[in-house]
Amino acid sequence: MKPPPFDYARPESLEEALDLLARHGDEAKLLAGGQSLMAMLNFRLLAPAILVDINRLDRLAGIEEGDGRLSIGALTRHHALETSDLVAERLPVLHAAMGHVAHLAIRNRGTVGGSLAHADPAAELPAMMCLLDATLRVAGPAGTREISVHDFFTGALETALGDDEILLGIDLPSLPPGTAWGFEEFSRRAGDFALAGVAVLVEPTGAVRLALLGVDETPVRARAAEAELARGALSDAAVGQAVEALRAEISPLDDLHAGADYRRHLAGVLTTRALAAARARLA
Amino acid sequence: MSETQRPKSVGARVQRLEDPRLLAGRGRFTDDHRAPDTLHLAFRRSEEAHARILAIDTATAAAMPGVVAVFTAADLAGEIRPVRAESRMRDYYATEFVALATNKVRYVGEAIAVVAAESRYLAEDAAAEIEVDFESLPPLGDTDAALAEGAALLHEEAASNVIARREFARGEVEEAFFAAPHRVGGRFRMHRKTPAAIENRAYRAEFDPGRGHLTVHSATQVPGLIRDALAEILDLPGSRLRVVAGDVGGGFGGKASLYPEEVVVAALARRLEATVKWTGDRLEDLTTTSQAFDEVVEAELAFDGAGRLLGLTAEVVGDVGAYSIYPWTASLEPVQVISFLPGPYRLPAYRGAVRAVATNKPPMGPYRGVGRPVSVFVMERLIDMAASKLGLDPVEMRRRNLVAADEFPYRAGSGLMWDRSGFHECLEAAVAEIDYAGRRAAQSAGPGADGRLIGIGVASYAELTGIGSRISAAPGMPINTGTETATIQLDSTGAVRAAFGIASHGQGLETTLAQVIADELGVAPDAVEIVQGDSAAVPHGTGTYASRSTVLAGGAAILSARGLRERIVQVAALLFEAAADDVEITDGIVAVAGTDRRMSFRELAKAFYSEMGRLPREVRDELALEVTRVYDPFFGTTTSATHIAVVAVDPETCEVEVLDYAVAEDCGRVINPAIVDGQVHGGVAQGIGAALFEEVRHDADGQCLTGSFVDYVVPSAAEIPAISVTHVESVLPATEGGFRGMGEGGTIGATGAIANAVTDALRPLDIDIMELPVTPERLFRLIQNAKINAKTKERDET
Repeated sequence: MKPPPFDYARPESLEEALDLLARHGDEAKLLAGGQSLMAMLNFRLLAPAILVDINRLDRLAGIEEGDGRLSIGALTRHHALETSDLVAERLPVLHAAMGHVAHLAIRNRGTVGGSLAHADPAAELPAMMCLLDATLRVAGPAGTREISVHDFFTGALETALGDDEILLGIDLPSLPPGTAWGFEEFSRRAGDFALAGVAVLVEPTGAVRLALLGVDETPVRARAAEAELARGALSDAAVGQAVEALRAEISPLDDLHAGADYRRHLAGVLTTRALAAARARLA
Repeated sequence: MSETQRPKSVGARVQRLEDPRLLAGRGRFTDDHRAPDTLHLAFRRSEEAHARILAIDTATAAAMPGVVAVFTAADLAGEIRPVRAESRMRDYYATEFVALATNKVRYVGEAIAVVAAESRYLAEDAAAEIEVDFESLPPLGDTDAALAEGAALLHEEAASNVIARREFARGEVEEAFFAAPHRVGGRFRMHRKTPAAIENRAYRAEFDPGRGHLTVHSATQVPGLIRDALAEILDLPGSRLRVVAGDVGGGFGGKASLYPEEVVVAALARRLEATVKWTGDRLEDLTTTSQAFDEVVEAELAFDGAGRLLGLTAEVVGDVGAYSIYPWTASLEPVQVISFLPGPYRLPAYRGAVRAVATNKPPMGPYRGVGRPVSVFVMERLIDMAASKLGLDPVEMRRRNLVAADEFPYRAGSGLMWDRSGFHECLEAAVAEIDYAGRRAAQSAGPGADGRLIGIGVASYAELTGIGSRISAAPGMPINTGTETATIQLDSTGAVRAAFGIASHGQGLETTLAQVIADELGVAPDAVEIVQGDSAAVPHGTGTYASRSTVLAGGAAILSARGLRERIVQVAALLFEAAADDVEITDGIVAVAGTDRRMSFRELAKAFYSEMGRLPREVRDELALEVTRVYDPFFGTTTSATHIAVVAVDPETCEVEVLDYAVAEDCGRVINPAIVDGQVHGGVAQGIGAALFEEVRHDADGQCLTGSFVDYVVPSAAEIPAISVTHVESVLPATEGGFRGMGEGGTIGATGAIANAVTDALRPLDIDIMELPVTPERLFRLIQNAKINAKTKERDET
């Protein structure tokens, strides 16, 4: 379990980093927190020619508020997000989800950008971005561009990010005051990847957002279920219909820890519970 | 001070003497030694579960940077003599111990070739370039495949994939079942588990070419056994071969066998005249360290209307993997299942039969509890099923059947002999500790506001510990595991040094043995230096396994410490010109009672060894201040316990939470309650792992699916409840010191207690737990099926 040989570069600037990516293309891998990458290297699942260590790009770390949104730099550590008062106040659902991200030691090193670029469908952050309608800011050889989170996750461990691009950060639009939330996930052990997880937002207008993790190849916004809930004003009947709808709109995978049927069942149970929590917060 | 007034160390919560070293990172583990010029090994392992090796091409690897040499089995043919795990058991086939695969591979991960290089990184790079040309053979992914008509043979010479068989029978089984008004039974399945010690296996060997001395540092539980095996394999006398287990980070049985990497490291150190090291990584640990508990048990229990047990039958099939592990044999685990299945119960008729079936999985070996976590799961489920059928409370069912105090010694159905142990006392103590009646009352009020179902599970068991020389620790194994040696000396500086053949790897034996010696000798425990884990410490020793070390080494410690004390007293009597009866020793001070004449051990030692003329010259020989005694408990003794678990089951998410856990155990005289508590806590955690979380999975082709701690799910602290431990000292056993072994019991009791608690919780759904671990996925399917069955039943009734 030692990584295969690789070259290592630690650029001091974004330009330098982009230049390295431009030169090495898909032979290069960005190293941020390393919490997924190093394990994959040690298993020799990856053999990049060069690791581009972006930990010196301090300007990519930080949480700022402005312009009706919260901006989070890609190099922000999970632990910074978890302990941010700003996040706890403005986006309590995100704050709640962060406590489920792996273990403290991993949260200390792991980064927001790393988690999104790695795109594990059972991870919390990708689903939270879908819930919060995030916009991802990306730099590439031709300058910067923005990608809606709904176009970002293209498959399991696959994103719209090009080999020559670097994720700079994300912008999260503010939530209307009085938005209620719920977050539920189930994992075999504290800190494990979830077998399934659900986050909901209920806006004062009655609009509902529902995002799931661990139940498909990508995080899922359950649009059909959202529509049922909005139509039925969160009544018990509407919740029941929403659960039916979302069980139809997800395609869970079988793996070692849970079969598709169980995950589909779990998604419904957790959705019901998350909605109950949100309703309790509305009241 | 008289004998009774002297403060005793035995029985006190003495802080572990090894902890300051271990907790401050000052331990010395095998991998910690980083001498320059060490050669690092990496193994080319098989990606095929069952295949013939047609050719191995090492040329590319050998030419890679930093590579010193590459070896295959053929290259080492002259240096590694064959050995087998022998047994006197009939119907047993001893597979050959394979260091590097020769003509065939039999499991994924089996070592085929080895690279010695300047670093582990370079060694791994080169190992990946070794080309092996395989001819695939049909994989025997499980016992069904291996037992199928016309199945391929794993070991052609064995002529069968069944490599061991055994049967125990006692009483009139057929009559008992024929006459019995009630029966319960079924097919029980326990899945494969791996020990997962925190320190992976590691070996480092140093060769001194001038003297021809080979020193093997091994993360092993059994340095004595390894020394004896390597002496045979490498054809070296023990005087030139030393096996040292320094600090070892857990073993749980996984480090109690001889391993291919260990033999290769030792052989290459001699061949290359160099220091050679291999430290297993977690993937290697999860795929090549011995595994356990992989059994199917078809069992049936007969009983009368009063709940009295009448008869028990069991057919066990054990999946023992690819080889018969050295030296314990493939029969160790599955035979223990039928040996211990009758449990602590009065049972007039029993028949248990077992087949050990070879498959394309890593070898099965000893693991904490060895077979008994499976027997207890099965028997305790049967007891609860019987109680349920009669409408009896599970505790009452056990009260009616546990062997009573006046029935000891009691011969169990498998022939095991139980000496007096607190079967009933432990049951009652656990019932009191957990407030059983209160829990039942709360449970009958129905599920809580969160909808979770509460279950209470009881498991009682008995095990044989501290086994002496009458039988070997493994069935028919021609190796004596029943004696232990202690050599205790007072050296010329007045220091006390006690050497043993055991090998502590987390049990705290440096503390408990020091406590035992301290009391005998009249010194403080921290004044006793314990030397262990070194084959050179005593002429013969095996190591630490089978809940033996406290009983055997503790007994040897008492005998030799007493002998040494006697000599110290006689020397003091000569020096003081006093009667030996008047000499007393307290805190390392030797004094004449009622006088101010006193001297320290240091002064006494100086007078004895160094100061000429103080003693008659023959005394230095006659009263030599070193005593060696060998202790053999011959039979061994019975440790027993009752575990009670309280769980909450969420029938929607299928989560099981262990809320509370109580253990009451009789391990005889408790030397250090804190250490016993710790051992029980760790054992229960592993038992909870076996019951709810841990499962080594292979696909039908024999590929391991659980190669990391993401997929092999070991419970963490968050999943383990607070565990209360009640120490019951019923009647002390006949062992020296009155000690019973207790290192494995925590794991043994937990499988049954958890399985019964989950079943109890699911009573409203009429679900019986017959398969462990009961993961959320399995529970989901059980609940879905129960719902379908309930609907069908409802429909049929209307």
